[in-house]
Amino acid sequence: MPFLDFFTQWRTNSRIKSLESQLQGRPTPQLYLQLADAHKEAGNSTKAAQVLKLGAARVPVCPEIIRRQAEAEKIERENEKKRLIEKIQSHPNPILYARLAELFKADGELEKTIDTCQKGIKAFPKYGGTYLVLGQIYVEKKSWQEAVTQLEKSVELDKYNYLALKLLAQVYMELGRPADAAQRLEDILYFAPGDEAILELLKKAKEKAGQPFVEKKSSASASSGNNAAVSSASKTRIGSLAAEQKGTPSSARDKQINAGVTQLRTVPGVTGAILVDQYGLVVAADLSNEIDEGLAGALITNVYRTASANAVKLNVGTFEEGLIEGENGNIHIVQLDEMILAVFAKADVKMGLLEKSIRDFSMLVLQH
Amino acid sequence: MKDILSKLNKTNGIRGSMIVNRDGIVVHSDFSVEVAETGVGAVASSILSALEGALKRIQMGRFSRFIITGAENKVAMVDAGQAILLVLLDREVNMGLVNLEIKDAAAAVREKSKM
Repeated sequence: MPFLDFFTQWRTNSRIKSLESQLQGRPTPQLYLQLADAHKEAGNSTKAAQVLKLGAARVPVCPEIIRRQAEAEKIERENEKKRLIEKIQSHPNPILYARLAELFKADGELEKTIDTCQKGIKAFPKYGGTYLVLGQIYVEKKSWQEAVTQLEKSVELDKYNYLALKLLAQVYMELGRPADAAQRLEDILYFAPGDEAILELLKKAKEKAGQPFVEKKSSASASSGNNAAVSSASKTRIGSLAAEQKGTPSSARDKQINAGVTQLRTVPGVTGAILVDQYGLVVAADLSNEIDEGLAGALITNVYRTASANAVKLNVGTFEEGLIEGENGNIHIVQLDEMILAVFAKADVKMGLLEKSIRDFSMLVLQH
Repeated sequence: MKDILSKLNKTNGIRGSMIVNRDGIVVHSDFSVEVAETGVGAVASSILSALEGALKRIQMGRFSRFIITGAENKVAMVDAGQAILLVLLDREVNMGLVNLEIKDAAAAVREKSKM
């Protein structure tokens, strides 16, 4: 029996390798479906779902892939919901509430979404992400005033939240407040310069508000611009947003994550590290005093968002990590579950040592 | 430009490369796999815009290179003066071995684009 198991596993693995190799050459819908089946047969449903997701992105006209991907995603969401509910009971934190609410929302379970958001807000009232999910629900219901209340709260708690600012601008437009919408869109351009979707919305908002629209293409122009609200706010160091927003700085999880981030900075050549959630909110950070944590979080999230959304188009598959090299140092970006870790380092950092430290930190985060 | 890419693509672990101007328009490309070139050019330009903004605001200086590792492959976007050199690599490629080739190619593109 063990020999038969071994043989079956060997045969499945060989088939996976062969299909992967064929897909590298000329991808077809059939190959994606066969590869997903092979991963499923090997007992790896997560990998099967990833393959279908990739196939759906590459061959969006194939209805069978789209159908199978939707099914696989539904199963993945159910598994994640169970995992999050357990985690909330054992190690509650606001990101888990927001993520769980998003999953309920994706399955159209509005009552559960609202209930989860309300519980999250009650437990962690200073976390902007949960207000954002609640705001999204009100937008779907076209309850514009309620949406404004939740989204303004979200933006008040996190002035660099791309999604909240964008949605708030759209709601202002619905309410006939184009000047307010334009202001929020300009806030976004401060940390997402050149974002074409935002520039397009800003052009429309300015036209409606009767204001002149001057496109600022380069990043250089945006910093000196009209973004009084954000730029003045950014001069104030946000400080420990993690402590301020999450409400439970003394929880064992927060302590361990903060210690892990601090530990990363002890690697020779590392100048700072920051852990942000999917909305760009800072979970933990240890940066030099000149860098505003909130702004760094927003900038990193913007780069991550742009790169990960386009990774399939770039033929690399789903985004795993990125390394930005600048004139004065490097930034390593790693996706960790529903969070993003960015480590700032000098150009001469020992890469092997840094990668090991990042792996150790990843294990720490994923364990919780 | 074509010769620079052909030479670069002979390196082990490199699956193809492309030169894109800063507006995302493809100048030259040479890939051994199927790639939607126009889309890749546009994406490279939008990523560059996000990167340059980020680096400037956190005082990391001028953009030099961005390497993305995905589940299937790696891609390196390299500053080449008025253009971007985009290189598609095997996921498990030894970056130490290809770094020099990429650096030389980027320098050659930079020189050519000055002309």
